[in-house]
Parts: sequence; structure tokens; C-alpha cells
Amino acid sequence: MNPILSFIVILVGVYGLATSKNIIKSVFCVTIIEAGTILLFLNFGAFEGGAIPILGAIGVDIVDPLPQALMITTIVIGSTITSLALMLCIKIFHHYGSIEWKEVLKGGDES
Amino acid sequence: MMHLIPVFFVFIPIIASLIVYLFKSKLSTYVIILAQLLLAILYGIYLIDFSETMSMPLVIFGGWNELFAISFYNDTLSLTFVGLAIFMWTMLIFYTFKTNQDEHKFLFFFMFLEGVFLGLLQTNDLFNLFVFLEVMTVLITILIAYRKSGPSFRAGIYYLLLNTIGAMFFLIGIIMIYYVYGTINIQFLIQNMDLHQQEGLIKLAYIMMLSGISIKAAFFPLFTWLPMAHGVAQTSISGLLSGLVVKGALYMFIRVNLQMFSQTDYNTHEIFFYIGVLTALVGVTFALTQKDLKQILAYHTVSQIGIMMMGLSSVANLSYIGGFFHILNHALFKTLLFLCAGVIIHAYHTKKVYEIRGVFKTMPWISILLIIGMLSISGAPLFNGFVSKTLIKYDFKNDPFKMIIFTLINIGTVTSFIKFSQILFGHKVQIEKNKDTLQIVSMSIIGILCVVIGLFYIPIGSFIFGTDLSYVTFKDPRQWIDYIIYVMAGLLLYRHVIMRDYVPLQIIRESRLTFEHANYVFILYMVVLSLFIFMR
Repeated sequence: MNPILSFIVILVGVYGLATSKNIIKSVFCVTIIEAGTILLFLNFGAFEGGAIPILGAIGVDIVDPLPQALMITTIVIGSTITSLALMLCIKIFHHYGSIEWKEVLKGGDES
Repeated sequence: MMHLIPVFFVFIPIIASLIVYLFKSKLSTYVIILAQLLLAILYGIYLIDFSETMSMPLVIFGGWNELFAISFYNDTLSLTFVGLAIFMWTMLIFYTFKTNQDEHKFLFFFMFLEGVFLGLLQTNDLFNLFVFLEVMTVLITILIAYRKSGPSFRAGIYYLLLNTIGAMFFLIGIIMIYYVYGTINIQFLIQNMDLHQQEGLIKLAYIMMLSGISIKAAFFPLFTWLPMAHGVAQTSISGLLSGLVVKGALYMFIRVNLQMFSQTDYNTHEIFFYIGVLTALVGVTFALTQKDLKQILAYHTVSQIGIMMMGLSSVANLSYIGGFFHILNHALFKTLLFLCAGVIIHAYHTKKVYEIRGVFKTMPWISILLIIGMLSISGAPLFNGFVSKTLIKYDFKNDPFKMIIFTLINIGTVTSFIKFSQILFGHKVQIEKNKDTLQIVSMSIIGILCVVIGLFYIPIGSFIFGTDLSYVTFKDPRQWIDYIIYVMAGLLLYRHVIMRDYVPLQIIRESRLTFEHANYVFILYMVVLSLFIFMR
């Protein structure tokens, strides 16, 4: 797979971030950037016909195991961040009655 | 056992936090103080060992090859930060212990953050740096939103999303580094940065990593999350974030830009110097217009980060040390200011700077500490801010343009704190008496330390940096005259501009960057950085 493809995914996420006016859309744009990043890294370690890097795969060409190990960590972190952000979205909706950035960022810091 | 002390730095706070969270009894909260004591003792042992033998700075987990294993590495830079972190956390635990003793969740997140922060400082692996960074972002978001009010939730999500984007771009940079070198070991990269063929990819990696760090460290166009987050959090959290956690990103800046990419010839010193100048000027301008005690202090954090950047990006060694020293000093006086402001806000039940009056007669000791903090941040002789600011000025003492900018920033800072000091004057007010002695003790220790560093900076400088700081002297009458001129100019500016509250000032105060515009700005920042690096 071409690394250009993952860059396109990342750029879609960046474009979404710069244009979406809704908090939930922003959260998902962050998720899209993250998906693009994961694709990019897996791509760098992999090649066509490579075997899965697990024990027992001796004698065959295995793909680089490090990117896969690192990306599992990234996926875990990403899911944490998405869930935390969505929880905050619910709380913001309860307090402001809206999840548009413009409505939410209006007004001072007095609660 | 001895060589595993860096690992204990990470695990002792985390285990203490788990004990607090699991047992949920009043007795279990004292474990935190025990943990801090243990950390301080271990730090002392490690420091003595480190300075005597200079051995075993590297801890490798699992017995793998050094290039691929997860490892911790300590040098003078990280150990200074570790010591500062342990000290600040101890003081803040004293400050917040009585008010939050029943809030077990709060103490859990607070202590967990300490372990993660100490891990960030010691790790020798770019990916772990990213992991610690992200865990820190999540924990800080929870701590910001802990007050459960509307503004704290919105500040939390703004902080979380913007910092996650920064961290993701940092990760993309790491991926490129891994693709080119096949390793992400920081010490290896510091030594072998020029061993590569793909100049373009490394440049791209540099841009990605530095723009990620710039969001985290709140450089000029990307600082919008900082005042929002630091203004609404609880006092101890604001002090922690402004005093210490932002410095985690500056630590990464030193590690990545000044150490890892030091052999490359991108010559980004100049551009980061001017980003620092802009950060400082814009931060001061915003601080001048604010009316909220905490917002003023938060915008001053932005401007002080700019001053640190000016020092760190200078070519002269003394200026670099000044920038580094300013990180430590700023941690002390900004935390002190935030804690004093927190006590005052708690007593007066308002954050408006024009509504609070008569603090000096009502709370004399707090006011003295507040004055120490204000004199330090504005760089008065005999206080610690003076030492580091004079060192930062070393590099451009012959450059009138840079000197004028620095003077302007200083006058802005002084003016802003003249406005802040108006809360001291006025008649005595009837308030509830503060019975929390531990709070006062912790603030007093920080305040006394500010003065002690301001007086005995020469032995401290030779201990931490191994450099003779006698270039700075507060006996020189010119320094005193300079400061008095700053105060005069500040008074004039305050009387005739700031107090009138003209329309432009109101517009600056009300202006706020929405999230999508913050992202536009981030893309622009990256474009400018790439133009600078690719087009020369």
C-alpha cells in the first residue's frame, strides 16, 4: 500500500478539523488523523508477502514487529481519548444546550 | 537495587495513588506524604551517587539490545527537572491536602500525574515520550474538568483535542525518524543524527515534531488553550500546570531541538528566538487587558515562556543557562502567585481584580508572599527573576533592537503587576479566617526559596549548571536604576492607558479563537516552519 494513501487520510482529518464547527465532528477528525498515522506506521514496517511476527514463524520473512507493537499502544491511547472527549461532549451539552464550538465558547468564565 | 531508582520515581507515586483510590479512607491519604518523603530520600541518594561516580545513568528494561529496549536515561538536565518536580509536587500536596483530603479521586489523578511526569522526564525512547505525553494530556484534562462547571468542561475538551493533534503530529515525526534510522533511542539519535541519506524526510520529521511540541509548549499562535485551561482549574491545578507541566514541553524542546537536531544545520535558532519574542509580547498584551486574577497570571505564563524561549534559542551559553534557570525560577514564583491568588479568591469569593481591595490589611502574610512573587516575576534585583532575566539579556547586550524588545516586555510585565497590586490597597474587609497552617507553610517555603535563589545564585549556579554566574550582580546601581525606570514607565502606562480601559483593550480582552481557527493557525504555523526550513 502506498504511504501517500495514509497521508491523504491524515489530510482529510486536518481539513475536517479546520472546517467543522461541531465538537463531535472535531473529535472524529482527531480519530481520523490517528487512523491515518497508524496506517502510515504499519506501512513502513510491512512488505508484500511478509509473515505475521509471532513465535513459530521461523524461516520465513516476517514483517518488522516494532511498528505493530507500538501501534497497538497508539490504538489504546486513541480509544481512551475518544471516549474521554465524547464524555466531555455530553457534559458540555448538559451545561450549554449545544455542541457547536461557537455557542460553547461564548461568554466568560463565570459558572 | 540502586540502579533501579529512576524506575521507583515513576512507580512510587502511581502505587501511592492506587492505594488512596482503593482504600478510600482518611488514613490512606497519608500514604501520599509518605510517598513524597520516600521520593525525596531516593532522589538525594541518587543525586549523591550520580555526582560521585557519574555511572549507571541508563536503565534498560527486559535485558534487550540497547537500541530496541525501553530504557530510562538521566543526565543533569533531566535530574534538575526531576528534583524540581518532586519539590513542587510536595509543596502542592501540602497546599491542597486539607481541602481535598476527602476527594480520593482528585488525589488519585494528582499523584498519577506525578508518576507520568517523572516518566516523561527520564525516558530514553521517543515513542515512550509520546505515550507519557498522551497519558499526561488525559490526566490533565480530567483535572481541569474536575470542578464540573461548564467553563471547565469546555476548557477541558479544547485542551484535550488541540493537544492530541499536537501529539499525533509528534508521532508522525517519530514514524519518519524510525523509518530512516531504524531506532527511536534518543541517546543514539543524539550521537548519530547525521548518519542518514534522506535529508527531505528528516526535515519533514523535524517540522512535524517541532510543531507538535509547539502546541504543547504554547508558543505564539498556538497558546490559546493555555489561558482557558489554567484560568478555570482549581488553584493547586493551575499552579501545577503553569508552574511545572508546561515546562515538560519545554524540556522536550531542549531534548529534541537543541540536543537531537543539534548536528543538523537548519539554523532554527533565529526563528525560534523570534517566535519567543512574539509569544512574550502577545502574552503581555493580553495580560494587560484582563480583569480576572487567574487569567492575568495565565497570560503571564505565556509571556514568560516566550522569555524562556528567547534564552534557550540564543547562541551564547550564558543566555541558554539563563533560559534554563528561568524555567526553574518561573516554576517557583508563578506557583507562588497562583497559590496566593487562590487564597485571596477563596476569601473574597470573586476573581475580579477591580472588586478585591484591602488585601494587605486583611491578610498581611499572604500579601508579603504575593509581593515577593510580583517582584520576582518583574525582575527586581535581589529576587530570583532578576538573575535569570539578566542572564538571558547577556546575548543581546550589543543588539539595540533585541534590547528594546526585551525592555518593552519588561515594562509590560511591570505594568500588569502594578494593576495586579491594586488589590493590596484599601481598607480592611471582614473575611473568614484561614485556619489551614499547612497551606501557609508551603507557600512560605516557596516564597523564601525565591529570595534565597535571588541572593545566593552563584553557589546554586555552580552546583546545577557548573557555570560561574558572577556576570550577574545586584550591587550594580545601573540595574536598580533600570528597574526604577521600568516601574515609573509602568505607572504612567497604567494610569493613562490601562485604567481608562479604551475600546482596543476591550476588543483584545473579548477576542477568542474558536477551535477551527486554532487549527487553521496550526496549519499556517507548520507551513511557515516548512517554508523556513525547505526554502533556504
